[in-house]
Amino acid sequence: MAIDPQPEAAIPAGGPGGALPAESEGGSAGYGPWRLALKRFLRNRVAVAFLVLFFLIVAFVLAAPLWADHVAHTGPNETHTLQKLHVGGETREVVTPEGKPIGPQWFEADGKFFLGADSRLGRDEMVRLMYGGRTSLFIGVVSGLITTTLAVILGLLAGYYRGWVDAIISRTLDVLWSLPVLLFGIAIATAMALGGVTIGPIHIEGGSIWVPILIISIFYTPYVARPIRGEVLSLGEKEFVEAAIAQGAGPLRVMFGELLPNLASTIVVFFALNIANNMLFESALSFLGAGVQPPNSSWGTMITVGEELLTTQPLLAIIPGVMIMLTVLSLNIVGDGLRDALDPRSKIRFEAHAGMTEPQGASV
Amino acid sequence: MKKLGAVIAVLVLAAVATVGLVSCGGGSSSTSGGGEGKQGGILNGTYASFPDYMDPQLSYTAEGWTAMGEVYIPLLTYKHAEGKEASEVVPGLAKEMPKISNGGKTYTLFLRPGLKYSDGTPIKASDFPYAIERLFKVNSGGSVFYTNIVGAEKFSETKSGGIPGIKADDQTGEIQIDLEKPSGTFTNELGLMFAAPVPQGTPNEDLSADPPPGAGPYMITKSQPGRGWEYARNPYWAKANSKAMPEYPTGTIDGAKMTVVRNPQTQVNDIEQGKYDWMQNPPPADRYTEVKDNYEGSQFAVHDTISTYYFWMNTKRPPFNDVKVRQAINYAIDSAALERVYSGQIKGTQQILPPGMPGYEKFEPYPHDMEKAKELLKEANPSDMDITVWTDTESPNNEAGEYYEGVLKELGFNTKLKIINADNYFTVIGNQSTPDLDTGWSDWFQDYPHPNDFFQPLLSGESILQTNNGNFANINDPALNKEIAKLGAEQLGPEQEEKYAELDKKYMEQAPWAPYGTRTLSTFVSDAVNFENIIWSPTFFEYLTSFEFNE
Repeated sequence: MAIDPQPEAAIPAGGPGGALPAESEGGSAGYGPWRLALKRFLRNRVAVAFLVLFFLIVAFVLAAPLWADHVAHTGPNETHTLQKLHVGGETREVVTPEGKPIGPQWFEADGKFFLGADSRLGRDEMVRLMYGGRTSLFIGVVSGLITTTLAVILGLLAGYYRGWVDAIISRTLDVLWSLPVLLFGIAIATAMALGGVTIGPIHIEGGSIWVPILIISIFYTPYVARPIRGEVLSLGEKEFVEAAIAQGAGPLRVMFGELLPNLASTIVVFFALNIANNMLFESALSFLGAGVQPPNSSWGTMITVGEELLTTQPLLAIIPGVMIMLTVLSLNIVGDGLRDALDPRSKIRFEAHAGMTEPQGASV
Repeated sequence: MKKLGAVIAVLVLAAVATVGLVSCGGGSSSTSGGGEGKQGGILNGTYASFPDYMDPQLSYTAEGWTAMGEVYIPLLTYKHAEGKEASEVVPGLAKEMPKISNGGKTYTLFLRPGLKYSDGTPIKASDFPYAIERLFKVNSGGSVFYTNIVGAEKFSETKSGGIPGIKADDQTGEIQIDLEKPSGTFTNELGLMFAAPVPQGTPNEDLSADPPPGAGPYMITKSQPGRGWEYARNPYWAKANSKAMPEYPTGTIDGAKMTVVRNPQTQVNDIEQGKYDWMQNPPPADRYTEVKDNYEGSQFAVHDTISTYYFWMNTKRPPFNDVKVRQAINYAIDSAALERVYSGQIKGTQQILPPGMPGYEKFEPYPHDMEKAKELLKEANPSDMDITVWTDTESPNNEAGEYYEGVLKELGFNTKLKIINADNYFTVIGNQSTPDLDTGWSDWFQDYPHPNDFFQPLLSGESILQTNNGNFANINDPALNKEIAKLGAEQLGPEQEEKYAELDKKYMEQAPWAPYGTRTLSTFVSDAVNFENIIWSPTFFEYLTSFEFNE
């Protein structure tokens, strides 16, 4: 059978997972697989709109130092408890003697305290929101990267070697999967709060931003690794893998040279969705005091601070909450859009709608 | 070192006064039972954090003392009253105030006959030395009050062989205590819960999850550290103890259930809705004004306390081993800003002794001056600029810590902030093996109305302990230690008060602390509780026996 692969290869998109070779064929009509996916993605207006929103949010948080230096003239952790604002001849206290922080000033004070002060410490809420967003996004993206890397490696090993390697990896992931993530995360963060943790050459200080990153990355690994393993298992049955082995490719070559490129679309989709989940997990951890540690802000910690002032300054909790919601929503919709664009089954759907299946199929 | 978590007991000022007071203390019943109240009911209370320990020999916080004040009665106790009267030491388990002889070095007391613990075990005179030994064996922070007993110093090291300075006769109930040197505060110290007898055989370990039986009108029936605890009437109170000590209030409620609710917003809502009857901690800053406006006089009262809130600086570790650095920090701290952080619930001070404490003489050694602070720091030019700042999770102490960290950053330090759960904050920072104990927040409420209580446990070299340390600054200045010891041995009078005021100044020159305020606290109860009847003592805060439900 392996001697003559042609008859099978001649069946385009014949089975699940055959998408990429098939798309390569489509490439002869002028579209590479990624280009095709991009075209499909761009047709999805909702996903594009939310991608733009996501980029706006990223731009917003990246602009934090600009706003801090040129508009608010204060850093995210600087306190202004006793400061007074002079607004059109009127003097307003940033924090009243009873400890009530000032509300949003919008542009009345030239952008200072645009969203008011965050607490009795009189820190600028807008500046903290921007810097806090950086922290939240940073944690989301970095733990997304770590999770994806771990998941791909574990998924490839388990799916390629099968047998006892698969058994060990899969069962370990199952155990991790079955733990109550949030409770366990809080327990670990609390345990690490005092002395930190040392893993080989890396030492993580208690209270460092790497504590939540580590927790999030590890706990979300099974959620990505298991589907990847499944995909590797099915890809392993494919002829191109057999062909590579027949040509004398070693395990590493097969895993990273043959299987990995075919996993790319899955990885991209999971990565986007994973960032969203990570950010939610981070805010939950931070809200419960086990994530980002004061005085640094993240959107989760800002909700905690705001919650204390919920009755007098509800915006302090609502604004970071809305920011989390928008970011997570946009990442989820973009992730869905990517899946639609990259998944072969959706390709069929898309092409049927576009009326392109016939001509393309005919050209083969 | 009563921290909030810790408030302390009142001290009877002079030994002169003590003897005279006994008789009037016995004569007037301090629980009023004012007519409108009713008997019975279970009080549902709430605390924002679990006390440091639920163990009479270990607890050194206001929460712990409030929680256990009516469970463990020492030989002497404080009068159940408000204001000045509350600092009167009166006989507790002892028949009368101690006879002081041998030039102020020998104290003789007699245990009342017929007393029983809540498990039915008879209380014996020898339970008292057992409790004092237990204090040393569990390395309690309160042991510093009793090192003056003959042989106690040695016992604290060997932990065996007993304390020869205490002789107890179970037959006659006589307890004789010999001191190394006369003390002006020992009567007060006998009234602290640390010295409350526990049955012999009580394990020498932290019993927070299973508190030992006590002699008081209530007993703790269940304790779940971190979550809450419950009280019921001590069955032997009515049968035995209340007959033996009729002047001690019995209380009207049948029991109580205390729940740790970490969100003070929820606490306020629950009290307004009657889900809880009382909250031990003050309402959160966000709700304070509203609660005060709506309920003051009917369900809410504000109390001045005798307390100092401060940032300690560990004088053993660089950069705080340099007095100039410590002074610089004092100049940099602005108590006006901290008043706002505490939403007006502290009044700014810059000294060790708080207003209301004998020996208090207002002075402001370090008026806020950032320039001067930076100048001093430049002169000192510390090589170690990396410091860790400690505070606890209870609002607004966490914000005070954040404020302090901000000030240190402004001065050019590289700071790290550690916010530790309020349940075990003092246990963590009181343990010398905790790494990076550089500087941090603390507070102190009087254990008894004597200035010694602010110097001896917090600032004397003797009080530096490996665990349950109270001298967070680790300051050990031989001249000042001597001064503390000398003044502590004298009876408090105008001359001593003046000397204490001087001592205050001398310590502030050394600047082991950056004090910033004295606290007001509050009582807030639901409308089901007879507000008028509640007794607030500066040491134990609300007495459990003074809670009563309205008809």
